[in-house]
Amino acid sequence: MNAGRVVVLELTRMEAAHLSGLVTQFAELMEDAASAAGDPAIARLVPDAYADDAGASADFRAMTEGDLLERRRQDAGIVLGSLSEASALPDEAAPDDERLMELVELRLETETLRAWLRCLAAIRLVLATRLDIRSEEDHDVDDPRFGIYEWLGYRLDGLVQAASDDA
Amino acid sequence: MALLADTDLQEDTGIRLDEQVQRPWQTVVWNDPVNLMSYVTHVFREYFGFDRTHAERLMLSVHHDGHAVVAEGAREQMELHAQAMHDYGLWATIRQAPQ
Repeated sequence: MNAGRVVVLELTRMEAAHLSGLVTQFAELMEDAASAAGDPAIARLVPDAYADDAGASADFRAMTEGDLLERRRQDAGIVLGSLSEASALPDEAAPDDERLMELVELRLETETLRAWLRCLAAIRLVLATRLDIRSEEDHDVDDPRFGIYEWLGYRLDGLVQAASDDA
Repeated sequence: MALLADTDLQEDTGIRLDEQVQRPWQTVVWNDPVNLMSYVTHVFREYFGFDRTHAERLMLSVHHDGHAVVAEGAREQMELHAQAMHDYGLWATIRQAPQ
């Protein structure tokens, strides 16, 4: 990613509002999060660093978990900051209010974009744990959370392409 | 004249140093069904500074072989790399190079 590059993300106000709600939930999950509490989604964010050495993995986690989870909170805060204006819907907006479909442009500078990429990737990891996704083929059309998971992937992929553009 | 040298210790240290030179530590990134191929390539380029071709080859190796060694060297350095990979959401471990 070239420093100084700005990536423009275009999305509807409705998307911005949904994403903001999702990131808020993620931030709440990260609040006071600790792997010791036994949530597999948190465990996925601070994985074992030694495949065959539980003691070394525990030592490594003791050294790194605080920083890793603090970064998840910071990234969520940065993403919510970028979304705050776009996701603010009028209270009286009906579901078919055309303002919801209005496109807004978010201008993401290098460090903000990095936070977005990490944050969307982390939320997908948490969702995948909740959905028990074990292979790329896992999908349940009746569960709307898969739609959210795939939409996040679509948005993340678009941002990655924009960030790694060699031009 | 090495009057004060403990020859046993010297030999012992020599053997251990030799073994460490032969068996460096590695950072290994593992395949998972969640992280996008484009994202993994991006992480390898951004963090390690690999060119696109090298980053894509490593990503494909993770994808098809289940894992790939992305760095080799001192244990402390591999731990820094693993923490960085975890920070991106990638699943990375540290190990001594297999004999």
